[in-house]
Amino acid sequence: MGLSDSTAIAGTVPESRRSLAARLRVIFMRSESLRGYALLSPTLIVMLLGMCLPFALMVAMSFWTQRGFDIDISFSLTNYGSAISSPIYEALLMRSLAISGTCAIVTVLLSYPMAYYVAFHVHRRKMLWIILMTLPFWTSYLLRIFAWKIVLGWNGVINSGLKSLGIIDQPLEFLLYSPTAVVITLVHAWAAFAILPIYVSLEKIDRSLLEAAADLGDGPVQRFLRVTLPLSLPGVIAAMLLIFVPTVGDYVTPALVGGPDGIMIANMIQAQFGKVNNWPMGATLAIVMMIVLTIIAVVYIWLTRKLAEWIS
Amino acid sequence: MNIKHKIDDLRMGRLSRRDFNKSLSALGISMVMTPMLGKSASADAADQATYFTWGGYDVPEMFGSYIEQHGETPNFATFGGSEEALTKIRAGYVVDVAHPCNQAIPRWVATGLFQTVDTSKLSNWEDVVPELYNLEGNMADGSPYMVPFDWGQTSITYRTDLVDLEGQEESWGLLWDEQHKGRMGMIASAGDSWWCAAIYAGVDFTTMASDESFKKVAEALRQQRPLIRTYTDDMTTLEQALASGELVAAMTWNSSPVVLKGEGVPVKFANPKEGALTWVCGAMIHKDAPHIDRAHDVIDAMLSVDTGKWLIGENGYGHSNAKSFAQFTDDELTALGLSSTPSDILSAGKFQIPQTQEFETAMNQEFENIKAGF
Repeated sequence: MGLSDSTAIAGTVPESRRSLAARLRVIFMRSESLRGYALLSPTLIVMLLGMCLPFALMVAMSFWTQRGFDIDISFSLTNYGSAISSPIYEALLMRSLAISGTCAIVTVLLSYPMAYYVAFHVHRRKMLWIILMTLPFWTSYLLRIFAWKIVLGWNGVINSGLKSLGIIDQPLEFLLYSPTAVVITLVHAWAAFAILPIYVSLEKIDRSLLEAAADLGDGPVQRFLRVTLPLSLPGVIAAMLLIFVPTVGDYVTPALVGGPDGIMIANMIQAQFGKVNNWPMGATLAIVMMIVLTIIAVVYIWLTRKLAEWIS
Repeated sequence: MNIKHKIDDLRMGRLSRRDFNKSLSALGISMVMTPMLGKSASADAADQATYFTWGGYDVPEMFGSYIEQHGETPNFATFGGSEEALTKIRAGYVVDVAHPCNQAIPRWVATGLFQTVDTSKLSNWEDVVPELYNLEGNMADGSPYMVPFDWGQTSITYRTDLVDLEGQEESWGLLWDEQHKGRMGMIASAGDSWWCAAIYAGVDFTTMASDESFKKVAEALRQQRPLIRTYTDDMTTLEQALASGELVAAMTWNSSPVVLKGEGVPVKFANPKEGALTWVCGAMIHKDAPHIDRAHDVIDAMLSVDTGKWLIGENGYGHSNAKSFAQFTDDELTALGLSSTPSDILSAGKFQIPQTQEFETAMNQEFENIKAGF
């Protein structure tokens, strides 16, 4: 301020301003981290407003308690106490982890052959193949769930098909409104997240390594186990994590196809924010879920690192 | 184009490929046209009152006189249960008109988020049955907070061809019958299920909040849980499952049997010997309603005889306008489980008693636990 005042009297406003701007410019250009933050700033602002602030609010809320309509904002660990002591939350969390774990494994097992085929045996129009395989991902999430309801339903495609073939007399009831239905629906919905990373890691494999293995006497099975599979593991590991983490928190699928036995932890969280009207408890459950997921993810990454060291 | 109906049609196999393509092309054309028509259309929509209601009430048939006055239906937002609706409104969602039920009135009023309705702005108010608005906590200085609109019962819809009562009277016990394990459906909202289980367990509604009653009802619901195929708030799910035979009995409201009978499915709406759960729902106006005059027009349209005729004839619910019943013969009304003197039905049924917020939270939490298997 003082600088611009004195220069204004001297009548050299434009010049001195330019010099100030130029100096700031120099500082800015010299500092690599400042330039980095500037480049990141739109994302940072969105992250701050859209992620960090709500998250901080949620953490704070998890220490509050609900009393009727009002929220008592004095610090309390009651919610965490009941989250840990009531068996229901533990059971729901375990069920969610089991469903998502199964889902991640099944998705990867089903997607691997598809990605393998496109990477090694398709030579023209690879992109078209990839697009076709990930096509389910292009339709609305809700539409996919309802489509599965029709396929798995009591008089749905599978049941009426099996019935007309005379294989069963009574419709198979476990198909819909069960954890199985949740796994099937999620596997289909998330297939794209397994096919793409696995395909990319398979595609990168240097073909001469395979030739070398063949020259040194490996059969097709050995060649796959000793060369292709280890080299494609990064894709597999990424795919598992990509599917496991978001599906644990899914509540739409279990609500629509899960039935009483397929309810997951996220349905309970949603109920707390909705009809149960106990937001602090909902916040606590969400945080507990996040902590458990973080621990699992860290252990998983550590294990895969060890595995990678052991292989090489 | 009603998407939900189209999807239903598709599921039931009533939609041919040609029809389906027609719908798709209509959708495509409207999507392409939206940006062009957008200006006038969206300006209109912004000016309309917002009506926050149960799924299924978001239809133009209910708002004949409103559409005549303002050219379009109100804007709709739907909920699956009134607790969910209250939570959303308390979190800051401002609507013009919302649609709770009698048992919720004192708690909704206690939030301070609603204003009384100016009945002088309602041309049909004179014809409203007084028993329906003289409810606990509803009237303030002669003005109602909730203007009654629909009333009816929660009971059991069962397949007459698949359920054999063996000459016994209809009873809530049907939904606890081991014979039909895995073939029965329940409403997921405790607002219905908890109270019906209380009737089954023989709990007096005046003692609902006591610990003993709470345990008794929870025990009944826990005992029932392994028998239930699905808990849902979506009536269409229950109706379709009843139509296919996946379910033989389900807890529903009056409209489900009417819809199913219309499709030729052999069903009956039970009149349980213990009594059905009776409720009155209606319209409340938000204290900061942005379209206060139009909010009154929405309510007035809901009270009209035309709307009543649709509500009774197509849905089987009772209407609050006494004149609506004159459109039907006594036989028609009896077949729907209604009567030209609504007080007969209302006094025969079990009427929910408003409870505290603490009770509602405890009840909903417990029912969530029970549904999850605990």
